[in-house]
Amino acid sequence: MSISIEVKGLSVFAGPTRLMGPVSFQVPQGGTLVVMGETGAGKSLIAQAILGTLPSSLRAEGEITVNGRRVDHLSITERAKLWGREIATLPQEPWRALNPLMHAFRQVKETHLFVANRTKPEAAAETKQAFETLSLSGAENRLPGALSGGMAQRVAFAAATAANAPILLADEPTKGLDAERHAKVVERLAEVPQTGGTLLAITHEAAVARRLGGDILVLRDGELVEQGSTTTILAAPADRYTQSLLEADPQNWPKSKPSDIGKTVLRVHDLAVARGKKRLFEGFNLDLRAGEKVALTGPSGIGKTTLLDAMAGLLKPVSGSVSREKTLSKHSIQKLYQDPPAAFPNRVRLKHTLQDVARLNKTNWSDVLQILEQLGIHASLLERKPDEVSGGELQRISIARALTVKPKVILADEPTSRLDPITQRETLAMLDGIARANQIAIVLVTHDKNISAKWSDRTISLG
Amino acid sequence: MEHVHTLPVTPTSKKRNPAQLLGFAMMACLIIAAIGGPELIGVNPAKQSLLSTLERPSFAHPLGTDHLGRDMAARLLSGAQLSLSLALLSVITAGLPGTILGVLAAWFGGWTDRILGAFADAILALPGLLLVLMLAAISPGSWWALYAGISLTLWVEYFRYTRQRARIVLAEPSVEASRMLGLGPWLLVCRHLIPEIGPGLLTIAAFGAATAVTSVAALGFVSVGIRPPTAEWGVMMTELLPYWREAPFLILQPVACLVITVLALHLSVGGLRRP
Repeated sequence: MSISIEVKGLSVFAGPTRLMGPVSFQVPQGGTLVVMGETGAGKSLIAQAILGTLPSSLRAEGEITVNGRRVDHLSITERAKLWGREIATLPQEPWRALNPLMHAFRQVKETHLFVANRTKPEAAAETKQAFETLSLSGAENRLPGALSGGMAQRVAFAAATAANAPILLADEPTKGLDAERHAKVVERLAEVPQTGGTLLAITHEAAVARRLGGDILVLRDGELVEQGSTTTILAAPADRYTQSLLEADPQNWPKSKPSDIGKTVLRVHDLAVARGKKRLFEGFNLDLRAGEKVALTGPSGIGKTTLLDAMAGLLKPVSGSVSREKTLSKHSIQKLYQDPPAAFPNRVRLKHTLQDVARLNKTNWSDVLQILEQLGIHASLLERKPDEVSGGELQRISIARALTVKPKVILADEPTSRLDPITQRETLAMLDGIARANQIAIVLVTHDKNISAKWSDRTISLG
Repeated sequence: MEHVHTLPVTPTSKKRNPAQLLGFAMMACLIIAAIGGPELIGVNPAKQSLLSTLERPSFAHPLGTDHLGRDMAARLLSGAQLSLSLALLSVITAGLPGTILGVLAAWFGGWTDRILGAFADAILALPGLLLVLMLAAISPGSWWALYAGISLTLWVEYFRYTRQRARIVLAEPSVEASRMLGLGPWLLVCRHLIPEIGPGLLTIAAFGAATAVTSVAALGFVSVGIRPPTAEWGVMMTELLPYWREAPFLILQPVACLVITVLALHLSVGGLRRP
């Protein structure tokens, strides 16, 4: 069997510093390689080095052979010819990879036309077919901004695979997907080797790696920790780090003990909400009690975020009501966001942001520092700007920022879906501790059934 | 914490490119020249001496004299004073209302946005120079008409840029988060908007100043703006044009001043940077 991708002694450098490597591996045609590790472990660098899309400040060393041809020394224009034809990629954040001004159907059709060189009617027919198989019917004439995360992902998948490239690179393909779509994407990826394609998948989820099989590379801080057959390594990880990655999988979490529940703090009665003209759901009722942890699940696009906005008073419901307990102020409801960097003014030092909030809410600075300490954030980090700390740290700082206001309700919109499993587990454990210590009610939006089952007191499923 | 991992802080490079440093240096010289004016060399720019016209540079007149025997150096300095102060004034009076209206349009949206947008588009539909000419016709030769005309054409750019950027920034989750945490409009502007749009506004300001300087000179050159005997670069170009054969070094001087000023403004905001 011929070798699809062969990498020998690949390292990636930023100036003199080695960020990743050296790694060597071979993926035979029809084979699968899974690269596993935390965020920041350098997983994506491997994909970028193979494609030739490393940022210009980084430099790759080592041999890369794609379908029997050395590519590492080729010019970028030469390498670009491989994209879509030899190697297709599924981008990490598909909604950013799509053209925001072009309808979904046309974007996919373009690949059929220009990369696969099909005729117009052929391209249209193929695109139509792809939209049907990926259950994207109805999304044809929508702009990417009007697609849900899962839909955008599938549109990107359709566009990436349109030219039938024999090699598929999938960088965190399941990030931000609900359980059902998650399973579908993984199934679709698992089909790639069965139809003779070669798959290189980057993931931090042990479950995804297990399903895809093949070979695995485990990376930590850019260094190779373990390498071998996926089944063998996941069954008996030799390295401590691989073990902790597996333990962090929500499937393996212990069930948290029930919270101490107080009186009702927020009552949602017969609520109906709409986004634009589209009515999302109606007749939603919820009695949220102090100290309670509620998980909110449902397929993507059902309106979980919109519901949170209505509960936070940011959005006027179409009908029904949201009422706070009388003693609660407007600021006693706080929100945590999916993408921590987007939730901070990104050119202001974290210290100034927190000081503003503390001053406006008459919280002592020493109390804020104490909260930060509880969350394991060193005060020196506050001298930095939001993009200079890791996602996990920033999410903890945003929890600290919310606590500065002494909230009674925290609405958390998938606060850990962009974090790797180890950080996710830590962050949710901290949130749990905080809810218990301060009798805060938490509504957690999640699409991971394991998280909702293991972490919350009760689960509400939408749709 | 069993597992805290921290990103290394990448030292943000404060190094500016050499072209930008050159721009700063040129701007500094120009500003000193403009603040000092003719007093810097202690010569009256209006003093004529018909016995020593079109003289080559000498110890007494380091840049020579013009067709009426006036000292060129003093006249150029006086011109710098006029051009740069007019540019500064028009940048301020165009920049402030332009930015504030842009923020208001983005903040309130709806009718506020539509009315302000339509007004800006209407101004944009008129060629800038035409507007200045119209105002100059009302009050020929006066500098305030020139200045009013220039700022009236320049504010639109600040408005459009601010409105566009502010709309994006205000829609970010971070603004929603700050609102929920109790930040009022003033703090939202200071923490979210200004840091985000400030650098862009500075660039527009520098380009706007360059436009103002060239407009003043262009209008002076076609005898619509500042009138003789005031020492203004455009006026000087017109006056010295007939003598370009006998004394080519004279007409080159106001031209060089204009080029240097525009270049300095563009360089200092990194305007000539390679992509």
